[in-house]
Amino acid sequence: MVENGATSSHVLVIGSGGAGVRAAIEAAEHGSVVLLSKTIAGKGGCTPMAEGGYNAVLREEDDPSLHAADTLKGGAYLNDPALVEALVHEAPDRVRELVAWGAVFDVAPGGGVAQRPFGGQQRPRTCYAGDRTGHEMMVTLMDRLAATDVRVVHECAAVELLLDEGRCAGAAALNRDGELGVFLADAVVLATGGGTQVYDISTNSASGTGDGYALGYRAGAELIDMEMVQFHPTGAIQPYDARGRLVTEAVRGEGGRLLNSLGERFMSRYDPERMELSTRDVVARAIATEILEGRGTERGGVWLDVTHLPPEQVEERLPIMLEQFLAYGVDIRKEPMEVAPTAHHIMGGLRITPGCATTVPGLFAAGECSGGVHGANRLGGNALAETQVFGRRAGRSAGLEPERRREVTPAIDRQLGALRRRFDDYLDGEVPPHSVVKRLKLTMWEGAGIFRDHEGLARALAGVEALRNERLRATTRRNLLECCTAENQCLLASLICRAGLLRPECRGAHTRRDPTCELPPDRSPYGHTFLSLASEGIEEVRT
Amino acid sequence: MTRMTVQVSRFEPDAGVSARLVPYEVEVHEGARVLHALYAIHEQDPTLAYRYCCGSGQCGSCAVRVNGKPGLACMTPVVDGDVIEPLDLPVVRDLVVDLVPRIERIAALIPGDRAELPDRETVDAMKDRCDCVECGSCISVCPAVAVSDFAGPTAMRQLERLQVDPRDAEDRVVQARDDGLFNCTSCHACYEACPKDIRIMGKAIERLRAEANRRGFTLPRHLEVSDLVRTTGRSVVRTETPLFERIDPVIEPYGPVRGEVAFFVGCMYSMRLPQTALDAIEVLRRNGIRVVVPMEQVCCGSPLIRTGQLDQLPRVMTINRKAFAPYPVVMTMCAGCGATLKNDYEDLPFRVMDINEVLTEFGIEPPAHLSVTVTYHDPCHLLRGQGISEQPRAFIRQVADLVEMPARCCGSGGGVKSGKPEVAAALGELRREAIAATGAEQVVTSCPFCEFHIAGHTDLPVRNITSLLLEAYRKKDEKEAAASTPPSN
Repeated sequence: MVENGATSSHVLVIGSGGAGVRAAIEAAEHGSVVLLSKTIAGKGGCTPMAEGGYNAVLREEDDPSLHAADTLKGGAYLNDPALVEALVHEAPDRVRELVAWGAVFDVAPGGGVAQRPFGGQQRPRTCYAGDRTGHEMMVTLMDRLAATDVRVVHECAAVELLLDEGRCAGAAALNRDGELGVFLADAVVLATGGGTQVYDISTNSASGTGDGYALGYRAGAELIDMEMVQFHPTGAIQPYDARGRLVTEAVRGEGGRLLNSLGERFMSRYDPERMELSTRDVVARAIATEILEGRGTERGGVWLDVTHLPPEQVEERLPIMLEQFLAYGVDIRKEPMEVAPTAHHIMGGLRITPGCATTVPGLFAAGECSGGVHGANRLGGNALAETQVFGRRAGRSAGLEPERRREVTPAIDRQLGALRRRFDDYLDGEVPPHSVVKRLKLTMWEGAGIFRDHEGLARALAGVEALRNERLRATTRRNLLECCTAENQCLLASLICRAGLLRPECRGAHTRRDPTCELPPDRSPYGHTFLSLASEGIEEVRT
Repeated sequence: MTRMTVQVSRFEPDAGVSARLVPYEVEVHEGARVLHALYAIHEQDPTLAYRYCCGSGQCGSCAVRVNGKPGLACMTPVVDGDVIEPLDLPVVRDLVVDLVPRIERIAALIPGDRAELPDRETVDAMKDRCDCVECGSCISVCPAVAVSDFAGPTAMRQLERLQVDPRDAEDRVVQARDDGLFNCTSCHACYEACPKDIRIMGKAIERLRAEANRRGFTLPRHLEVSDLVRTTGRSVVRTETPLFERIDPVIEPYGPVRGEVAFFVGCMYSMRLPQTALDAIEVLRRNGIRVVVPMEQVCCGSPLIRTGQLDQLPRVMTINRKAFAPYPVVMTMCAGCGATLKNDYEDLPFRVMDINEVLTEFGIEPPAHLSVTVTYHDPCHLLRGQGISEQPRAFIRQVADLVEMPARCCGSGGGVKSGKPEVAAALGELRREAIAATGAEQVVTSCPFCEFHIAGHTDLPVRNITSLLLEAYRKKDEKEAAASTPPSN
């Protein structure tokens, strides 16, 4: 009983950001591929919005071991070292590949891809195309995708992974008209990106709703380190509707200074050595502390100033920042930007092997929806690199899976039946999804933000669980997806709170006001937090 | 919070009725964009279909028309009374248009032998054309797309960017030619609509046409124009006694001298429509403006630039620069010449003003009101090329009843009338419909190309704005003469 029949391919890739498209390109070398995109492919996710850059060791004076050391230190040693090794060793090839495919990165004075310093790096390692690096990558990847036989299904959102005898065998999806579609595959790559849209203030695109975490979790996959949410230090704070919009780290990479309302360059109190180019967790906490202690601006931010830089530098290297602030009447060449932390990136995610296999057979994951690469705090510039390195790895692993009989088995049919009943419940529901999501975002900002404690997290979790019990309403079939998305967001929020409660220490982005363990990160007894349908807990490292 | 009412276009594909505007009252925060109003509307009415994603101008998902003009919903401030409609492309539902087929016509880079990043100069030469977010705005406003198989402005932008890129293996000039390179009328509607301010005509299409010229792909009719400029200094053949043979080099005004302009006549007004230029001179004389006409002047070069034939350009530019160097103010009345002098000539030692600007600056003697209803056709090279729209309307309102019609290219520009007559004719016919819909009795414009072309696509008289003014002055004179002559019994 499948509307419009089932679509069958060797590999199904879910998500059309940098990781998804890279996975699809790679998988196409091994067989038929369907790329399922919630948005128009290439426009969704956070890759096209990624501004600052892509970390890769390209020059003599740098070395992959330095990149690895920076990534591990920045990640408070919670990273999976095998994943870090893959990242630092393959990021250069992947960026060279993008260049060969036509990416227009900025050029260094001596030729080759230009690189600039980003936070937490011992060498300038961040490749860039002005401050529209991700957009340039996405354009390049879409060009390459067009040269493959990958079938792209636009504006069709996966709502559930389909399981057959413990294997992931495809996904159920809703199209723009609210029709249920079935996509069968021998292997599935989840590349659905992040989910900080569960916070009131977020940099993410509207598609950053954490669908991959929710789909994976419901399919039985294990997730790790879900408490590790990166608050980007610099988000716009006004006007109201633009709050949280990313102000790229490239602003500080180019020499931007952070000032409090007293005009103090306050980073000297928090990290005198690295100053503004400290890691994001440190800078975000510093800004939050300045604001909490009364040295913020009237609107609750701090100043980020590039007025001392030559205007041409701002125009050439930060054109998007210039354009976005000008649109709101602020000329950043002449006046400082007003900024505050904003929820940006989820370091945690599906547990993967270096081959991107999750704990569910047939299911692979890459990009932000996977966990382990960045540990407890991601370095700026490592996410774009991650999309390419692990996108390719996931595509390859999925492509190498053996061919199987792809059919709607009784087990799959039962899942589809359950899904239809869920849809009927939505059509019969009471609460509009936007109402639930609004309350969810405030709850999370309040209880699971930059500074956390047991009581706050527990209260947030209780609030989230209450929201999960509300009966979502779809006005028409076309609104079913909004209900599914709200449900995914609630589940993600729950995972973040639960993982936060599991980790009793301050580690990277996870700042507890009530830590019971105060050992430095490199001597912490704790490993990953883990959550799955089967169990949840925190790994303890035996010493 | 601010309360406001906005109207949103609603369209159900299967309902069998056309789109309708529905008013919604919403509350938004200060500084809200159109997208935030749409969020609020969607909360009231979840059936509203609209598309959005990044919310920060980077993905190009949310382009809509706001009060008729395309813009990204996430970047366009929302104002009470706004009318929000889908882009002028096939509509799927409400504000959602069928964008993917349009995006798919944008070419992809095909890697060749070179895998390295080009040098800085090459990268700089294509960088600003990489800003495109493929929102569809330019395609939706392009007149050539509406009437032909033109792949669209952003497709040309991409072909030019690939043409420059040594990594690309394909012949993009041939592809551009086959995708309608010569269908672009140079109306600049794409630039006006582009949220990233990409000058597609100047930075892509003209460059591709220049490359096509080097490759020998210039259309035969365009080559003829270039030959004419070489041999006669003019881009059109004489069909009338040229203006220069009818006038003195200095024409004094009727009354005291209030000002002086050096008149850059242009090929059309000198060779094809000299009577219109004479009308204009009469209006200037009547308003105290001395008209000096340097006789050495030649074609401004616009027909060469627009068709990519650049070899003679330095020569004509030098002649014109020298001919007009002694004069502080150079006046054009051809929209194309004016836009070219203002935008393509660099560091001119004089100020260039369109005749509408000249008359506005000096102020005109009040004309009589003619009992006639007219509509005004905005010449693209006046409206978008020079930013002149209100001045001519102010004059028209003094002499006639003005009924507006949407500003849209008539099809005469960019070498399309000569090179792709079928495209020009199809656009001319669209103008015919738009003119007819106004109910006007006459069409007024301020560009010889538009005037000439539209005249072939309407049964109404097509007049230059100065001809209309002159008629109004003559009527005024008649009235005054009648008043001063005692009625004879």
